[in-house]
Amino acid sequence: MLRDGKAAAANNAADWIRAIAESQDRAAFASLFEFYAPRIKAMLMRLGAAADTAEDLAQETLLTVWRKAAYFDPARASASAWIFTIARNLRIDRLRGDNRAKLYAPYDMVEPEGPQIPDSALSAAERDARVRAALKELSQEQVRVVQLSFFEGRAHGDIAALLDLPLGTVKSRVRLAMARLRNLLGDLQ
Amino acid sequence: MSIIHHPSDATLAAFASGTLDEARGLVVAAHLSLCAQCCNAVHAFEEAGGAMLDDVAPEAMSAGALQRAMAALGPLDIIAPAVRAAGGLPAPLSHYAVGPWRWIGRGVQWRPVEVASDEGVRVFMLKAAPGTKLPRHRHTGTEWTCVFDGAFTHDLGRYGAGDFDEADASVEHNPVVDAEFGCICLVALQGHIELQGWLGRLIQPFVRL
Repeated sequence: MLRDGKAAAANNAADWIRAIAESQDRAAFASLFEFYAPRIKAMLMRLGAAADTAEDLAQETLLTVWRKAAYFDPARASASAWIFTIARNLRIDRLRGDNRAKLYAPYDMVEPEGPQIPDSALSAAERDARVRAALKELSQEQVRVVQLSFFEGRAHGDIAALLDLPLGTVKSRVRLAMARLRNLLGDLQ
Repeated sequence: MSIIHHPSDATLAAFASGTLDEARGLVVAAHLSLCAQCCNAVHAFEEAGGAMLDDVAPEAMSAGALQRAMAALGPLDIIAPAVRAAGGLPAPLSHYAVGPWRWIGRGVQWRPVEVASDEGVRVFMLKAAPGTKLPRHRHTGTEWTCVFDGAFTHDLGRYGAGDFDEADASVEHNPVVDAEFGCICLVALQGHIELQGWLGRLIQPFVRL
């Protein structure tokens, strides 16, 4: 039941963002806020932010979603991925105080300066579905290691200590998980 | 442009998740601005990030958080046209101060790119004349390179425009610059370069890289 509700919220998110872009729909914003703000807060806390900083950044992320709603292009990213990148950039700006978030600027533009994506590329919806399927194919242990490694930025040695595993096991798990993810996503390119 | 050498999956995933340091991230961003295939991979990893965001156990916001956000809602941004980078450099470099070219050896010029790093990583551009042979060397840390123009060749192959070379401290190589076009590239270097051989050790004090 919970999973269904979650899937429904994530599915509606693109419509809510469009409603904001088209008619500044405050009810749509409230729905987005209730689903995403607590999750962004949780993700940022997992990345090491203090609870009040994480809450602050979650607020700022949702306010940015409102302000930039017209920039959201469902053909390029799912709503969750787009919101993830906004939270990522705000976190980099705030917690590190460096220039790094600017590295991602080409992705936020409507007409990216980057190279043309070939026509054969999958639509964002298909890509999203593939990624989700791919993540489900991984074992819980693999997902945990991928999360710690890539989304919490921990070194392999850290992960080994945290999960009480030999370093070699962590390394091979990361490699295997990435190889599987890459295989499952292989046709994306 | 046919790109042969790409960043590793781990590097692209670290870039997508925002955990890569700024200095190395800049060289990756320069590559991404030239490589549709790796843009796609980064977007796939961002989708994975979105999926993880959906699945994380929520952490309750404090009382009144939604009301405060609603009260702060203002006008929406109007879509602005994309800005083009000046000077023919890849767009990600346009955010950074780039110093003047300076000669650092026969046939080789160097210009610093000002990026703060707490991991001892320096970013610079190199311009080497056609046919330049760089002395055999290894590194005390990682050396990531994105080629902008021309090419160089070393043990692992030929690196042309757009190619990305991710060398770690275990790599020892002597790159040879393309005989016709020379080479211009962006480098993030951790630690410094150790020249090998008697000639290298002799000139090491004069080479500041």
